Amino acid sequence: MSAPMRVLRAIAIGLILPVALVLLWQVASSREWINSLFYPAPWDVMQRTWDQASGGKLPHDARVTTGRLLAGFAFGAAPGLAVGLAAGVSRTIRQLLYPLATALYVVPRIAMLPLVLVAFGLNDEARVFMVAFSVFFIVFFSALSGVEQVDRIFVDAARAFGAGKVRLAATVLLPASAPAVFAGLRVAMGFALIVIVGTEFLAANDGLGARIWLSYQIFDFPSMYAGIIAVTALGVLLAWALLAVEWLAVPWRR
Amino acid sequence: MDVSGELSIRGLTVDYGGAGGVRALQALDLEVEPGSFHAILGPSGCGKSTLIKVLAGLIPRTAGEARLPGDGSVAYVPQGNSCFPWLRAEENVAYGLKLRGVGRRERAERARDLLKSLGLEQFSRAFPGQLSEGMRQRVAIARAFAVEAPLLLMDEPLSALDFQTKIAVQAELVDLWRDRRCTVLYVTHDIDEALTLADRVSVLSARPGRVALTAEVPFARPRHQAGLREQPGYAAAFRKLYEAIEG
Ligand SMILES: Nc1ncnc2c1ncn2[C@@H]1O[C@H](COP(=O)(O)OP(=O)(O)OP(=O)(O)O)[C@@H](O)[C@H]1O
Ligand SMILES: [Mg+2]
Repeated sequence: MSAPMRVLRAIAIGLILPVALVLLWQVASSREWINSLFYPAPWDVMQRTWDQASGGKLPHDARVTTGRLLAGFAFGAAPGLAVGLAAGVSRTIRQLLYPLATALYVVPRIAMLPLVLVAFGLNDEARVFMVAFSVFFIVFFSALSGVEQVDRIFVDAARAFGAGKVRLAATVLLPASAPAVFAGLRVAMGFALIVIVGTEFLAANDGLGARIWLSYQIFDFPSMYAGIIAVTALGVLLAWALLAVEWLAVPWRR
Repeated sequence: MDVSGELSIRGLTVDYGGAGGVRALQALDLEVEPGSFHAILGPSGCGKSTLIKVLAGLIPRTAGEARLPGDGSVAYVPQGNSCFPWLRAEENVAYGLKLRGVGRRERAERARDLLKSLGLEQFSRAFPGQLSEGMRQRVAIARAFAVEAPLLLMDEPLSALDFQTKIAVQAELVDLWRDRRCTVLYVTHDIDEALTLADRVSVLSARPGRVALTAEVPFARPRHQAGLREQPGYAAAFRKLYEAIEG
């Protein structure tokens, strides 16, 4: 079999189960084997998703959620990377931060929400902070362990050529730990999505999380599913975007 | 480049892990003539890499002194796979130049020249992961020559290569050295390789290492490791080094 054929075959096999499930759901719902109020048929969900997408409500909520998520991601990942690298380079910084970071890392993110609302108020700063907080620690630990796993031989080579601490960090530790950092960023992106949706459930009037939650409360289940589909699509798109960034930033791993 | 001045090591002692740790080198003395190719032989674990790393400024010495030739700068080929995987071949070669503030144009030119003399001009844009082991070691050697340091420290740069590749890189290496006249300190565990490459060979004793013997290599250049055994005096030279390594 040629390479394109193999790819097509793999895609076709991968589609069997999802397509079968959707068909089963369609039949089960339209024949009322399951309660179509709670589990509306996929066709109805698609129509509702389409209506709301073209009516502008869904795009607005998607934009709001994406904005919060990306802001939180950036405000968490950038300092996480910088502080993680610093902790990897300096034993003092590592000893200073490691215990506190380990303790905060295990706090379930959503448990922080009331405290964060008290500190920031019911606003976007609070929602962005929730995301940034969970992203920071994941990226911090992946950068730290990335630096700790850098092969000694590269450090020795750079130092023998005269690299000081700053040059060493920029020319060796940063690129050498990039694969570990990107693995951390992928995990952090997943966390960011969970946290922003959970936060919007509880503390927002717009955004995809709020849409899902409010639809549920008024028993508008097709709209609820439309929100779930939009969140899923957002997650997939962000994961792809991150892979594209990694592809560009880590060319030696292609 | 100022290559004048000899490499002179007096009473060099190195302990790992402070007091009560491992003593790797014990009062080692060594003189290396300016511009010469000096090989270091010794049993595994005797402190060969330790000696190289101290001279490269990577580990502190416990006692003793080392005077380095020229301005005291060194180039280093570590033992093992040391090419930066995230840099292309030409960027690896130019690494030390970049640290020294050499401009982009000149860096690229010097990297290309060196890669060319090592037969890698086709691969200057390749990442190390896309190169064979032999090619990677050539890149590591080119990276060391690029900075034109008066002292070149090499720690078993060819020991992972098959015989054919090793012979080819040996010839390229000697050409580069003769062209630049820097002092080379070259660690190997291969007696034949030492006899092929070096002007002089020192044998370190088992740990803690000190110089057990320094011998002149009596063969005229150019030399070739494949034909070494036909040289008159080979058997005696080999035996002398072999017995010194055995202790
Ligand atoms: N980082 C370290 N910490 C503690 N001991 C070390 C360290 N590095 C090396 N040693 C010890 O120092 C001694 C000399 O090591 P070194 O690497 O210099 O040997 P070598 O002659 O290069 O050996 P080989 O031929 O196997 O490369 C060894 O006994 C080793 O166990
Ligand atoms: Mg060694």
